[in-house]
Amino acid sequence: MTAIVLAATVGALFALGTFLMLRRDLVRVVWGLALVGQAANLYLLTAGEIAPATHDAVPVLAGHGEVPETADPLVQALVLTAIVIGFGMTAFALVLSYRVYEEHGTLDLAEIGGREVSEGRERTRSDGGDRR
Amino acid sequence: MTTVVIAPMLVVLVTAVLTLLFGSYPRLRTGLALAGTAGYALAVALLAWTVVLAPGAPGIATYQVGGHPAPFGITLVADGLSAFMLAMVATVGLASAIFSTRYVHNIGYDRRTFYNPLFHVLLLGVTGAFLTGDLFNLFVWFEVMLMASYVFVAYYGGPQHTRAAFRYVALNLVASAVFLLAVGGLYATTGTLNMADLAQRLADPAAYGIDPVPVVGLFGLLLSVFALKAGLVPFQFWIPSAYRAAPPPITALLAGATKKVGIYAIIRLSFTVFAGADVPISLSVPGTDLGIAGASPLAFVGPVLFAMAAASIVVGGVGAIGRPSIEGVFAYSSIGQVGFIALPVALAAAATSEQFRRLAVLAALVYALNHALAKALLFLAAGAVRSATGTIAFDDLGGLAERAPALSIAVFVGSLALVGMPPLSGFFGKFLVFEAAIRAEAGGALVVLLAGSLLTIAYATRVWNRGFWGAPSTAVTDARMDRVQVAAVVALAAGVLAVGIGFDPVYEFAEVAAEAALDAEGYAEAVDPGGEAA
Repeated sequence: MTAIVLAATVGALFALGTFLMLRRDLVRVVWGLALVGQAANLYLLTAGEIAPATHDAVPVLAGHGEVPETADPLVQALVLTAIVIGFGMTAFALVLSYRVYEEHGTLDLAEIGGREVSEGRERTRSDGGDRR
Repeated sequence: MTTVVIAPMLVVLVTAVLTLLFGSYPRLRTGLALAGTAGYALAVALLAWTVVLAPGAPGIATYQVGGHPAPFGITLVADGLSAFMLAMVATVGLASAIFSTRYVHNIGYDRRTFYNPLFHVLLLGVTGAFLTGDLFNLFVWFEVMLMASYVFVAYYGGPQHTRAAFRYVALNLVASAVFLLAVGGLYATTGTLNMADLAQRLADPAAYGIDPVPVVGLFGLLLSVFALKAGLVPFQFWIPSAYRAAPPPITALLAGATKKVGIYAIIRLSFTVFAGADVPISLSVPGTDLGIAGASPLAFVGPVLFAMAAASIVVGGVGAIGRPSIEGVFAYSSIGQVGFIALPVALAAAATSEQFRRLAVLAALVYALNHALAKALLFLAAGAVRSATGTIAFDDLGGLAERAPALSIAVFVGSLALVGMPPLSGFFGKFLVFEAAIRAEAGGALVVLLAGSLLTIAYATRVWNRGFWGAPSTAVTDARMDRVQVAAVVALAAGVLAVGIGFDPVYEFAEVAAEAALDAEGYAEAVDPGGEAA
C-alpha cells in the first residue's frame, strides 16, 4: 500500500515538475526544476527498504536485547545530502532568474529567446564586459 | 603513501579558502591563487609519480575517507586513468591561472574578489570527480564543479550571460535529478554504490542474489548525464552560449577539464564497472533485423555512443564553419572534437578483443589530451585578442599576424594540432583514432572521421584567414597585447609541440591509463570492498 502511494506521489511530482518546466514563465520553470529535484529525492528514499534488523545492522544496540525493524539509513544520508545541494541550486536559480529579469525586463521565455535571436550576430562585438 | 591521493584536493581547497580570506588584498590574493595552482600541479605530479610512473610503483592507491573501510565509507582511488586525467587538468589549470593573473584586472571590482576562490572550487570539483570511487560521491563532486561553473557562466551579468547561465543551470538541474534517479535505482538493484563493489556484484549477480536487468536502463540514464557534461549531441546546445559567456581563462578550463570529466565518467563506468556485468541483452526494433545483443551493458553503449559521437563530429564541424567570432568557432569546434574523443570509446565498447579495446581507449585518452591542450590554447588566445582589441568578431579583426606575431604562431600551432599535423600532439591523437577505426573495420566511423577532419581544416583555415592574415584592421592596429597573457598561450603551444616531439613517455602514460581503465579486477582488489567487513 505504502509502495503504491509513494510510486504515485513520485510520478505525480515528476509530471507536475515537467509540466511547470515547459511553461513560458521563468519562475514557473524554476519551480518545475525544484519539483523534479524533490521527486528524485523521494525516489531515492524509496530505494532503501525496511530490513529485519540484526545487531550487525544496528551495532549501537549491541547488548541491549531485541532490535526492532529498521529503515535503511544509507538512503536517508544520501537524501539529506541531495536536499542540501538541491536547496543551494534552487536558491541560485531563483537569484539568477531575478538577474535575468533585471537584464531583460521580462520573465517571458519567448521574449527572452526572441532577444537572443535579434541580438544574434552583432553581440559578439560587445560580448563580455571585460573592457568595463 | 595514501595521503598523496588527497593531496591535490587539499591544496586547492586550502587555496580556495585562503584566496577568499584575503580577497581584499589583490596582490596577495593573486599570488596565493598562482602559488596554489602551482602547488596543485606539483601535488598531481607527485601523485602521478609515486602511484603510477615511478619504477616499481603500485599502479593504484586508495584513501578510505575517515578510515571507514569500503564499501561503508567513501573510497578515493588514484590509478593510471585518474592520474592521466589529473595531469591534463593540472597543465591546463596552470596556464589558465597564469593567464588569469592579467585578466582579472580587467574585471569589475566586486567580481574580482570571487574569481580566484571559485576558480579553485572548480578545480576541486574536477579533481574530486576524477578520484572518487563512489557513485554518489561522484554526484556530489559534479555538483561542486557545476556550482562554480554556473557562477562563471553568469559572471559578467549581461543579458546574454544571464541567458546562457540560465540555460546551463536548468539543463544541469534536470541532469542532476536524472543522476539521482540512476543512483537510487542502482542502490535498490545492487545494494551498493561503491564502484568496485558494484563491479564485483554485477560480475556475479547470482552469488549476491541480484536481478541485474534494471542495471542496463539505469546505466543508460547515467550515460545521458555524462554525455550532457561532455557536450555530446543531442545534449550539445548549452555549449556555444555558455562558452562565449564565461571569461576566457574559465572557458579554457571548461573545455579542458570539465568536459573531460564527462568523458572520464563514461570510460570509468563503462569499462571498470559495467564491462564485467553479467547481463544478457537482446533488444530489437520490432519488425526489423536491427537489434543489439550482447553479454554486458557495453553492448548497448557501443552503438548508442557511436551515434552520438558521429553526430557530434558533424554538428560541431558544420556549426563551427559559419560562426562570426573566434570564440564562436572554437565553441562549436569543441562539440566536434569531443565526438573525436567519444568515437574510439564507442569502438572500444563494441570491441570483442581485450587488446583492441585497450588500443581504442588509449586513442581516446591521447586525443583528449590533445584537445585539452590545443583548445585551452585557442580559448586563451581568443581571450588575449579580446583583451587587446576589445573584439573577437571576424568583421573587426584581421592582420593579427603582423601585430602580434608570437600569439599568432601559437594560434597557428594550436590550429594545426586540432587539424592533426605532425609533429604536434594532434597528429598522434588522430593517428590512433584512425587506427582504432581501421582495426575495428568500421567503415562508417572512417567516413565520419574523414569528414570531421576536413571540416576541422575548413574552420581552422577560416579563423586564420579572417583573424590573422591580411591588412591590420583599426582595432588590431590600436591593440596592445599583454605579455603575460601571450606567454601563457605560447607556453601551451610549446606543450603541444613537446607532447608531439617527445611522444613516447606520453604514450606510455596513456597506455598505463588505458590499462587501468580496463582492469576492473585490479581496481576491485585495491579498493577491497567488504574483504573482511562484509
